[in-house]
Order: sequence, then C-alpha cells, then structure tokens
Amino acid sequence: MRVRVLFYGQLKEITGVPSEDAELSDGARVEDLFERYGRRFPKLAEFRTSIAASVNQEYAGWSAPLTAGDEVAFLPPVSGGQQTGRQADSARGGPANRPAEK
Amino acid sequence: MTAAQSTTAEGDVIQLVREPIRAQGLLDALKAPEDGALVVFDGFVRNKFKGGETLYLEYEAYEPMAYAKMREIGAEIHEKFSVHRVAIVHRLGRLEIGETSVWIAVSAAHRGPAFDACRFAIDTLKRAVPIWKKEFFAGGAVWAEGEMPSQEAISGPGES
Repeated sequence: MRVRVLFYGQLKEITGVPSEDAELSDGARVEDLFERYGRRFPKLAEFRTSIAASVNQEYAGWSAPLTAGDEVAFLPPVSGGQQTGRQADSARGGPANRPAEK
Repeated sequence: MTAAQSTTAEGDVIQLVREPIRAQGLLDALKAPEDGALVVFDGFVRNKFKGGETLYLEYEAYEPMAYAKMREIGAEIHEKFSVHRVAIVHRLGRLEIGETSVWIAVSAAHRGPAFDACRFAIDTLKRAVPIWKKEFFAGGAVWAEGEMPSQEAISGPGES
C-alpha cells in the first residue's frame, strides 16, 4: 500500500525533501514507516523520542495502523518560547507528554 | 498550500497569514454590542534567544493540520468558557524583531471568561498546533525547541 509522508522543521532538513510517497506492506504501523526512514537517514532516528506523528492530520501513536492513502507526518516539537522549551525538556523525561511508545 | 482564512459559524476568526497581522481590523470585526470585554494576547518576535541576538525568525506550519487544530481550540473554548467570539491568527514566513507572530483575542460579556479563554488558547496553541520557528542569528540558525503535544492531543482511539 502507498502512503504520503511529510516532514517538517529540522526533520525536513535531514531528509532533504518535504514529502514523498512510500510503499508499505499491509498492516504496517507508524513506527514501521519511521524505522524505514531512520535506516535511510540515521540522524532522523535520533529524533524518535522527541517527535510526534500524525495520521491524516490527527496526532497518532507510534503503534497506529496505516492504510492505503494515509497522509503521515513526522512533527518536531511545536514552536515555543523559552519557557515552553524548558517544559519540553521535562516532558521528554516522562511519559505523560510523549506519543505512545511501541 | 497557500495561506487562507476562515470565519466560523460563531463568528470566530481562524487565520494563517503571511502578511503583517492587522490587529485593528480584527478588533473591529470581533467587538459586538452585547460584549463588555475583549482580551488580546499579542505574541511578537523577541530580540534575544538563549542569550544571543536574534536577527529574525521564520515560521512554518503543517497548514491543513494547523487549521484543524486552531479550529478545535476555538470550538473547545466555546464549550468551556462563556465567551462570544474567538480570533486566532498566526503569521508564517519571515518575521522581523517586534513583529507579531501570533494574535489571539476573545470577546465576552464579562472579563473573567475572556481572560481564561485567551490564556487557554495560547497555551493550547503552543502545545498542539503544528507550527515551527527557526531562529536566525549572527553565524547560524536553529530550530526552536518547543513543547510536545499533550497526551490528550495525541490520544486517539486505541491509544492510552
């Protein structure tokens, strides 16, 4: 099945392209798609614990299943000021504000 | 996708723009005779970033999702607070020091809900709306670290 993949912020600078189509096997999940790109762009894999993903413009966990035609985006932490930057640091230390793991 | 604007059935204004935000026109459109209060949050570009001098910023958005999330914030405000109208406007592209990047206003019959709703809007926007900023300074540029979307924002069916 084919899905559309979008990258934003620093992720886009790592991949060098803002979007492309990806061919996946049936039953693939968001994390499978990200792992594929992580193999292709090792620096991207380092962002695994600090980014969010969306499917069809809704935030989605890493285990969310994909279907043909889905639009999947990988999203760095959204823009904040100094204060929000610190909150993001602490948020990364705990599970409360992270996308669902596995 | 080009920047566009929308006005909801409640008279709310949800916009992503690439030109300077013109607050006065928005204020005139928001105020109504039955209102007694209007609270504005004006977020603009600071000249300092982590102790260094900022030259300018660039904002980018995942536009369709940003619009959807901004509209959700407006709808949630009408559920939670006794307010009349909500405006949420975010500028994209290059912004100079002192220029407004995000402008939020809430009108209401009374000031309490207007203050509360305005605070809720900016805090939620910073957490949940997919907009990123890149800070340019002498000798380089860096993507600003922001907040992670809240668990509430992420949790969908089947996710805990």
